[in-house]
Amino acid sequence: MTSEAAIAPLGRRPVLRAVAIMALMPIAVVIAGTFLPAYPLRILDLVLLYAILGMGLNIVVGYAGLLDLGFVAFYAIGAYTYALLASPQFDLHLPFALILLIGAALAAFAGVLLGIPVLRLRGDYLAIVTLGFGEIIRVLINNLDGLTNGPQGIARIDEASLFGWHISTPLDYLYLLVGLCVLTFLFVWRLQESAFGTALAAVREDQDAARGCGIDTTGVKLIAFATSATIGGVGGVVFASMQRFVSPESFTFWESLSIVLIVVVGGLGNPFGVLLGATLLVVMPELLRAYADYRQLLYGAALVLVILARPMGLIGREYGPSWLVRKLMAR
Amino acid sequence: MLVFDHVTKRFGANTAIDDVSLTIHPGVITAVIGPNGAGKSTLVNMAAGSFRATSGRILLDGVELQGLPKYKIARAGLSRTYQNIRLFDGLSVLQNLAVTLVPRSLPMLIAQAFWLAPGAGHDVRDTCMAVLHRLGIAHLADRQAGSLAYGQQKIVELARAVVSRPRAILLDEPAAGLNHTETDELKAHIQALRGPELAIVLIEHDMKLIMSVSDEIYVMNRGTLLAHGTPAAIRDNIHVQEAYLGQPGAMGIIEAAARGRRNRVRIRAGEGLAWGEP
Repeated sequence: MTSEAAIAPLGRRPVLRAVAIMALMPIAVVIAGTFLPAYPLRILDLVLLYAILGMGLNIVVGYAGLLDLGFVAFYAIGAYTYALLASPQFDLHLPFALILLIGAALAAFAGVLLGIPVLRLRGDYLAIVTLGFGEIIRVLINNLDGLTNGPQGIARIDEASLFGWHISTPLDYLYLLVGLCVLTFLFVWRLQESAFGTALAAVREDQDAARGCGIDTTGVKLIAFATSATIGGVGGVVFASMQRFVSPESFTFWESLSIVLIVVVGGLGNPFGVLLGATLLVVMPELLRAYADYRQLLYGAALVLVILARPMGLIGREYGPSWLVRKLMAR
Repeated sequence: MLVFDHVTKRFGANTAIDDVSLTIHPGVITAVIGPNGAGKSTLVNMAAGSFRATSGRILLDGVELQGLPKYKIARAGLSRTYQNIRLFDGLSVLQNLAVTLVPRSLPMLIAQAFWLAPGAGHDVRDTCMAVLHRLGIAHLADRQAGSLAYGQQKIVELARAVVSRPRAILLDEPAAGLNHTETDELKAHIQALRGPELAIVLIEHDMKLIMSVSDEIYVMNRGTLLAHGTPAAIRDNIHVQEAYLGQPGAMGIIEAAARGRRNRVRIRAGEGLAWGEP
């Protein structure tokens, strides 16, 4: 259940114990990663990257109940921020940590820019306008040749390094991504549990009634868009440094759709659901590689089956981190 | 004090409210009655900010509510219940109440979310639980609001409307759809709301409830104010009975019918003038 802590704070000590138990999960991933060969390791990196993006998008789609089909725009802004500030394109080579901040800030700014005009819209209209926004950013990138090098993209992007730590191998990225994933997880969990999460839940359930209860729905949604965009921007920066090449092709509508699917298939409003969704949606196409021509067909069929069987996602909203903490505390 | 000052509302060529002035004092329960189409709900919706009056002012403790967005009206201290319940179905009862206690300022919301400011979790919980106790539904605190019975949902909505300590509260047909026992329970709750600071507006069709619970009654018909007085005065007002109920003594018939039917009043008086649902 959302925002439980805002009204039913959990005791401090048992929470720490429960969180310690939950911390075993990322530790297990890191240990497993050290033994994995390069190819599955890269897949694992992708799973984590998409999990981060999914948790970010989930703030808008899952917590606030607004269908955002243009999330990839923020991802692209993050990616191009790194590509432009750490490549021979303009011969700028800023440090990775600084660009992370810049990318996050730019994406947040874009989130507010998108938010202001669209947040008066609802449902389908909101979805269409966000979709349009995603396309605008992609088309801009495609055509601003002088800045972005157009469809050719930007190559020879710098290797990332964080306070002296060179991040280059898939294993390095595993460490980085696990760290970011844990941070994002804690961030969105806290967001959901705070009074802000309660306000978002009210917006999701009934906007008019929420307004009648004194919630500034427009303001609340704007913050939701901005925080969600920030996470998208961070994901983009990491993506660009990982690929060391960016082009508009990576930021099509299908990318947005994939991230929405991760959230919807995994479980709306539940970071555990997003983790599972990211795992399935990244790993499934890889497993289906053997079936070459039928790959997309099988993938689509699997999605349809999952959504038919579990319309609210594989892991329900109520089985979130707070639920797990309570279960762990009860023992 | 909630004041409607010469309020007129036109929808195109239709005049829904025609120069109506009401004063709702704190500490008393003021009922607004009238047949369907009299303009009662229009008044409530204007006060709550769903739409603006064509002319006139609506003041809450001297503050003009017209033109304020809905959430600011709520923050100014006006809360309401809805004719058809509007709870946050997917949230728990406790959360439904907590929504009204979310910090007002956005920077504060952000600060709390990131531990930059102390949260108010315990206080919020205590405040909500106190109200739930008062209304006798504390045992439902963790239940999902949408899963409750209709009568319970009505009480939860009442709890949500009072938990933010409003200055005025608009009860839009709170007894609609309730059975006899539930209505009695509701009556007790409404009476318990009465406090020196709170102006209570009751829009109802259940005459028995109105006559027993309200201190003042405004009678509306076709967008105009027909009469105003104590329940006894309204009951005896031959003008009200004749002009609007069809025949003298109609009020007595209505009350008898209310007792007999136990539920929403729906009788025809005189030449087929309907009271309640058509």
